[in-house]
Amino acid sequence: MNRRTFLKDAVLGGVALGAGTRLLSAFPAAGQSAGPDLAVAQGESPATITKAAVEALGGMGKFVGRGSVVVIKPNIGWDRTPEMAACTNPEVVKALVELSLEAGAKKVTVMDNTTNQAQRCYVRSGIQAAAKAAGADVPFVNPRRIKKMPIGGAWLKDWDVIQDFIECDTLINVPIAKHHSLCRVTLGMKNWLGAIGDPRNQLHQKIDEASVDLAAFFKPKLVVLDAYRILTRNGPQGGRPSDTKLVKTVAASRDAAAVEAFGATLFDINPPDLPLLKLALERKLGRIDLEKMNIEKRTV
Amino acid sequence: MKRERSRKHRLLQLLRVAVQAFFLGLFFYLLFGTHFTGEDYIGPVESFFHFSPLLAAASMLAARALIVFFGLAAITVAVTLLLGRVACGWVCPLGTIHQFFSWAFKKAKFLRPKKPASGGLWVKYAVLVFVLIAALFSLNVAGFFDPISFLTRVSAVSLVPAASQGLHGLTDLLYTAKLEGPGDTLAQSVEMLTLNAVFVQGFAIGLIFLAFILLNKWRERFWCRYLCPLGAMLGLFGRLNLFKLKIDEDKCTKCNLCSIHCPTQASPFPNDTWQSSECIYCETCAAVCPTGAITFPFRFKRETLPAVDFTRRRVVASSLLALFSVPLFRISKARKRASEKLIRPPGSLPEPEFLSRCVKCGECMKACPTNGLQPVLAEAGPEGLWTPVLVPKIGYCEFYCSLCTQVCPTGAIKELTVPEKTTVKIGTAWIDKNRCIPYFLGRPCIVCEEHCPVSPKAIKFTDVETVRPDGTIAVEKAPIIDVELCIGCGICENKCPVADQPAIYVTSVGEDRSKENQLLLQIGE
Repeated sequence: MNRRTFLKDAVLGGVALGAGTRLLSAFPAAGQSAGPDLAVAQGESPATITKAAVEALGGMGKFVGRGSVVVIKPNIGWDRTPEMAACTNPEVVKALVELSLEAGAKKVTVMDNTTNQAQRCYVRSGIQAAAKAAGADVPFVNPRRIKKMPIGGAWLKDWDVIQDFIECDTLINVPIAKHHSLCRVTLGMKNWLGAIGDPRNQLHQKIDEASVDLAAFFKPKLVVLDAYRILTRNGPQGGRPSDTKLVKTVAASRDAAAVEAFGATLFDINPPDLPLLKLALERKLGRIDLEKMNIEKRTV
Repeated sequence: MKRERSRKHRLLQLLRVAVQAFFLGLFFYLLFGTHFTGEDYIGPVESFFHFSPLLAAASMLAARALIVFFGLAAITVAVTLLLGRVACGWVCPLGTIHQFFSWAFKKAKFLRPKKPASGGLWVKYAVLVFVLIAALFSLNVAGFFDPISFLTRVSAVSLVPAASQGLHGLTDLLYTAKLEGPGDTLAQSVEMLTLNAVFVQGFAIGLIFLAFILLNKWRERFWCRYLCPLGAMLGLFGRLNLFKLKIDEDKCTKCNLCSIHCPTQASPFPNDTWQSSECIYCETCAAVCPTGAITFPFRFKRETLPAVDFTRRRVVASSLLALFSVPLFRISKARKRASEKLIRPPGSLPEPEFLSRCVKCGECMKACPTNGLQPVLAEAGPEGLWTPVLVPKIGYCEFYCSLCTQVCPTGAIKELTVPEKTTVKIGTAWIDKNRCIPYFLGRPCIVCEEHCPVSPKAIKFTDVETVRPDGTIAVEKAPIIDVELCIGCGICENKCPVADQPAIYVTSVGEDRSKENQLLLQIGE
């Protein structure tokens, strides 16, 4: 059963999507029983801290099975180089590709529906070259692979979805932590706007609702937040190195809300104060009570 | 007497076809290479232009400036001085296309010349005089007729979009046939080529090209024979013509096949009527001669030229026509007041200088990664027909891109580095508060602010109270523009969710290149 037929069954069967995915996902038992709720790694090398964070969660083998198809969703939205912190750090993406292949993935795909011209974003973010070097496919969005699907959200009922993000065994969300004028911050949940079709800019009229609905729909097995260099102002694309701040941190979890809550704190935002996280909590997407979580911190 | 065609000249003819194919291939290789290839700077993809002495003369004359790259045109002139119009017969990509269709029309028996054509050759000299006289008055019409500009323009705005549609159709077909693997591979390769598919003038420019192709049904290489001012100019440069046509009177059967099939009406038979200024050294006459009577032996002797088919009376008439036409090209409201829609590419010279240099070739439109640069119809007046304009509704100016400035063959768009380009203001954004979602509907949006590429952003917020239709009052963040930070790139207009007529739009006011089209007083600054 691949992800797509599963989702269809889940919707048709009236099973709540979130619960369904959890129950039926390929490697649930080991992942749920042990390990920390959230892993936070700090250090000089983006690749090393990414690998350390995943290792703290029990290793990529918990999320990627032998022969499985992995899709990694970084933020490649902007025609900006890594020092602008507008797109996910290419080294972080590369590390995840390597871990996935080491864990036995048959195929790893890295892609995003960009905002600026696709080729410029893929090239200048450094992600295309880095992911390809590690052995991933880095295709551009093919309009023929966008199909309208039931999102089943509280607000968003159906929308055009890029099928590559559906037709896989493991979906990994790799956002970068950035300032955003409307949402205050943009982290993992809003990153899903890059996995859908147009007119996605109209979703800004209820951006938090849309992000939460999409996060519930895509339900990644693993969320890795790139906070190596974060964007602190003029978001979500910055433009000057002085708009960024080196935090040298990567956070990872299977709980999308937990990562989001941690990300908020990087911008001195108390997680419950973020409207998005309140919605995420209502929708039972995960936990945001960082102080009660089992957080494993590593410095490498 | 042996009736046998010359094997040597038939081989030379094949060689000529091979050379033509090479240059046509090179032309399209450079054209398809004119896009974002992953590097900030691309090589000299516009080189073909610089070998055109017509563009060199007209542009430098019109601009009253020395344009260094056009030094390459001296090579064309030198070759022509020695060998005659070999550039027309062996190199020119547009000539090759016309020759191909002439050949195809002959094969299909659409074109069956029965006797040598006569007359009409003077027209291209009149076009040349018109172009040069106009250039004296800084009116640059060379690009309408220069074959390199002509072919580049039609390729960029008509043929490439057509190819793009074809390739997308093919991909769709593969998908319909459940061949998703090859379909996906094709889709990915097409994406890498940046085939801009939307051009407002694409249909008209394509039709004009088609018309000139169809004229080959009437006369072989119609364009080259009657119209091309570059051909006319090279004809005038031809002096030595080191390889001169010679008919062996003993072998000649006076069948006239050579003159009937001469694609440029150079009248090879009888020998003394041969017009070296019309000959393009295509070897057709020598190859079709049933007795191999025609050769082109090397003879170092300056010709007593048979006069080109252009009388003094016609020189005066075409000069006068040009003189009286120049003012007509300038009857335009664009000269009175800047058009708000005339958003020129970054690096464009002030409008009069820009118009004196731009040859409407469409290189910038081919290079533009967002398809935003479009051939203009009326905004720039008659002399500005098909000059480039940014239409943000179609595509915006990509912040870190300076490709259009790099590929402009005449310097109408000044070459800029990427850092230089990011500081150039090409217009200013305005908000239509009657359509803007936060202002009018009292709902969040700020898509424009999110996309604004400058730092600090040129779009800021203000809290705005809006009475909703149901009487409740909403307070939302609404955009306001800092015109001093705005560079007019148009991404806000392009991405505005108000689809049909965006609630934020760019006009040309404030553009760096103009002294008059300004908004803010800069006194004492």
